[in-house]
Amino acid sequence: MTKIVVNGQEREVKASPDTPLLYVLRNELGVKGVKFGCGLAQCGACSVLLGDEEVRACVTPIAALDGKPVTTVDGLPARWAQKTGLKPDPQRLHPVQQAWVDEQVPQCGICQFGMMIKVTELLEANPKPSDAEITEALTTSGPSPHLCRCGSYAAILEGAHRAARLMAEGGAA
Amino acid sequence: MSGLTDIHGARLSRRAFIGTGGALAVAVGLPVKASAEAGAKASLDAAVPANWIEIDAAGAVTIRTGKCDFGQSSVNTAYRQIVAEELCVPLSAMTTVITGDTDRTPDGGGTFWLLGYVQNLRKVAAYMREAALEVAAGKLGVDRKALSVKDGVISGGGKAISYAQLVKGQDLKLTIPVEGELTSPMGLTVKGDPPMKPVSEYTIIGKPSANPMTRPKVSGEAVWVGDVTLPGMLHARTIHPATLGSKLVKAGKLDSAQFPGARLVTIGNLLAVVSPDEWEAVQAAQAVAAETQWSEWKGLPGHEGLAEHLRSKADWSAFPVRDGAANKGEPEKVATAHEHKASYFLPYHKHAPISPMVTLADYRPDGSVTLHTLSQNPQHLRHMIAKMLGTGEEKVVVRTYPGSGHYGRSNGGSAGSEDEAVLLSRELGRPVRVQWMRADDMQWTTQSSCALADIDIRLDKDGRIAGYSAQHHVPPMQDDRLVGAILAGLPVIESPAPASNDPFQVGITDVQDTWVYGAVPAVREKGLSTWQIGEKESPLAVGLRDHSMRTPIQFQQNFPRELAISEAAMLAGKDALQFRLDHITDPRFKAILEKLRTESGWDSRPSPAPGARASGKGTVKGRGLSIMLRDNGYWACAAHVSVTPESGEVKVERMTMVADVGIVINPLQLRRQIQAGCLMGVSQALHEEVTFDQGAITSVDWASYPILTMAEMPQLKIVFETNLAAGNYGQGSESANALAAPAIAGAVLDATGRPVRRLPLRPDYVKAALV
Repeated sequence: MTKIVVNGQEREVKASPDTPLLYVLRNELGVKGVKFGCGLAQCGACSVLLGDEEVRACVTPIAALDGKPVTTVDGLPARWAQKTGLKPDPQRLHPVQQAWVDEQVPQCGICQFGMMIKVTELLEANPKPSDAEITEALTTSGPSPHLCRCGSYAAILEGAHRAARLMAEGGAA
Repeated sequence: MSGLTDIHGARLSRRAFIGTGGALAVAVGLPVKASAEAGAKASLDAAVPANWIEIDAAGAVTIRTGKCDFGQSSVNTAYRQIVAEELCVPLSAMTTVITGDTDRTPDGGGTFWLLGYVQNLRKVAAYMREAALEVAAGKLGVDRKALSVKDGVISGGGKAISYAQLVKGQDLKLTIPVEGELTSPMGLTVKGDPPMKPVSEYTIIGKPSANPMTRPKVSGEAVWVGDVTLPGMLHARTIHPATLGSKLVKAGKLDSAQFPGARLVTIGNLLAVVSPDEWEAVQAAQAVAAETQWSEWKGLPGHEGLAEHLRSKADWSAFPVRDGAANKGEPEKVATAHEHKASYFLPYHKHAPISPMVTLADYRPDGSVTLHTLSQNPQHLRHMIAKMLGTGEEKVVVRTYPGSGHYGRSNGGSAGSEDEAVLLSRELGRPVRVQWMRADDMQWTTQSSCALADIDIRLDKDGRIAGYSAQHHVPPMQDDRLVGAILAGLPVIESPAPASNDPFQVGITDVQDTWVYGAVPAVREKGLSTWQIGEKESPLAVGLRDHSMRTPIQFQQNFPRELAISEAAMLAGKDALQFRLDHITDPRFKAILEKLRTESGWDSRPSPAPGARASGKGTVKGRGLSIMLRDNGYWACAAHVSVTPESGEVKVERMTMVADVGIVINPLQLRRQIQAGCLMGVSQALHEEVTFDQGAITSVDWASYPILTMAEMPQLKIVFETNLAAGNYGQGSESANALAAPAIAGAVLDATGRPVRRLPLRPDYVKAALV
């Protein structure tokens, strides 16, 4: 048994310690807001936050979590509520998710799980990033660029800026 | 009360009323239950309009279509808008869209040309509106001609009734004329000509409309294809052959001590490992694969030898030569002052979805099977699965879910994994989920065809084109065969061939890039094709299989044409944009080219650019353009680039795209589609080439098949406006995808004075061309 914290809840996991977090989340814990992309840490579709840092769930064995809490896209609304002290509201998305809706960012959308996680990581550390800083975060900061095959990068850039504005407004509220 | 009324060729019967409890669609006996169990026989009767569009007693409208929305949202937004417009109901009434489930959608056909296919639904909506008016006339006692519909309310003669009130408790049967074959590649077509709402009266079409699927997707609530589970389900990983022609010699041993839950399954040359535990399946499959022996096969030219293979070895007499529709005169006999004669080469491209394919199949003891998958043509997939199993189509149900876009790869039904899941489920008597790994998806799927084009442009003494001839050599696309069935030795449909019983499998080999230079006096374009590379040599009959991708064949033909036109302009000493204007006759093209000149800040002058050079330190800058006509949509694109001659590196700085696509349905989504399609095109232009050796595809992951990253994104400017007079509904991302490569190559020509007549415009290829 391994104990891991996922989206604010402590969960007991039977999987062997070498099992990548991706399979544990999706299959054993039923947390599906993390998607299989390449299994090689080359695309970013499976990104989750480990503590405050984006990692690739497809190559991170649960033994390597080091007690840090895991946040997936499913857990972003609760993470935002916790950070701002807002009352949890099932209708309220995390500002990054809300920005993705407002800007109609996704095409097929499979990469956006990782994109939103990476942008959340960025905005928590840098609330008002420049174009270059957003691009750098999504291209060179991690083990690989976050790839979008549909080519939604322009929408992602607009989404990230809108998310920054929404977070700033939410933080002031 | 009873009667039979003709509604513009559809039949309306009013035989009976039923109790007040029924919430009925306007023209049908009973609401359709969306509860067909797996293995159920029925596909919905397409002659019943409520199976396409249903209005309930609350006035809510459901659309059912066999097309799938891959996220570009044409089905989820444009389809809603088009049906709401034709029915004359508010967009908010369009509550539900059911897509791509063979037991719950009536029509079939492939997910492409979506805004053309939508004419089916539009006609159904028109039939329903007309029937409702007819019924309302009787009910209100008002002459039909005095009635009109607005916001879901029929009114006239001082009286009014809503659709909701009209259908409540009614048993009205409308039968609409339909033709075609449900599970054929093209599906069904609604016939007849019900009166359509005049374009001038549109109030919903043309307004921005958000995609209702976006929120459930980004919240994590949407169920994606890979998320579906069933009790007792096993996870499978396929172990595909070592090459595209290898047969199984000896399967590796499965170590049951190390992998106690895993099991090895062999069906012919189809090898897989299954386990209740997905990670165990992954590891066990890797271990078995490492020790599995396959026969050797070397039947491919290798990617480095591909251009030469196409030039000198491929048999281009295998397929009939297709003449371009605009051919006229004898361009090869035209006297010329200057001649531009060159060959152009495109490598294979991969659709390369971010997530590899995945299917969950549930084969039942009664011989029925349900597939939970992602397909652009579920009904034809159903046909192919039934053929593989040697069973009736009524035994097969295909359900589809959101998944990774793959840009045309499954528009004939199969993207990969579907057949393997079915065969494994049948073998094991349990639901089986086959998840392909990255390498499976890169190595065992189809690709977008490679191409070789020979172009000859003859200029007269004034620098105008006197003759244009082109020979386009492209292996045929549209190989929809189920590759797992091939490996298992089971029946599949035909591969692309010069002649076939299945017209879809004749292959796309003709001249698809519509000729646009109407002022050229002599034109001869030819489309040549050959067998898919390696297919005839492969003992499995699997070589480099080809399939449409976004703009099939047109991409392969437009790149050489447009780069050659830019080169001819340079030879003529003319500005590349003006040179095009000088040869174009269609006013819609003239308008968008003039707009491109303004919007892109085009500096009108001949190429090469002042200061252009092909060697030395630092960077040089240039601009190029391309134009294309597709689906009655007019496109023009300008690229501004910088080139580092010393390294061959091309940086795309700005892309400007101007389009007159016809009637814009949803400007919000069209802008996103064009942006994205354009960037995918930049990716293909700069990076993409499928590599392969003598037996296997060696582009196996994102390191060996790189695509555009966000850091390489140029500035994008997208310009379009609706053109109601054009009459057609405008398409988006598909077309946008093809324009980038020739525009960028034209810009490299302008910056350096040298043509790079191949893709990708990667540093090593560019550098080699600049020497």
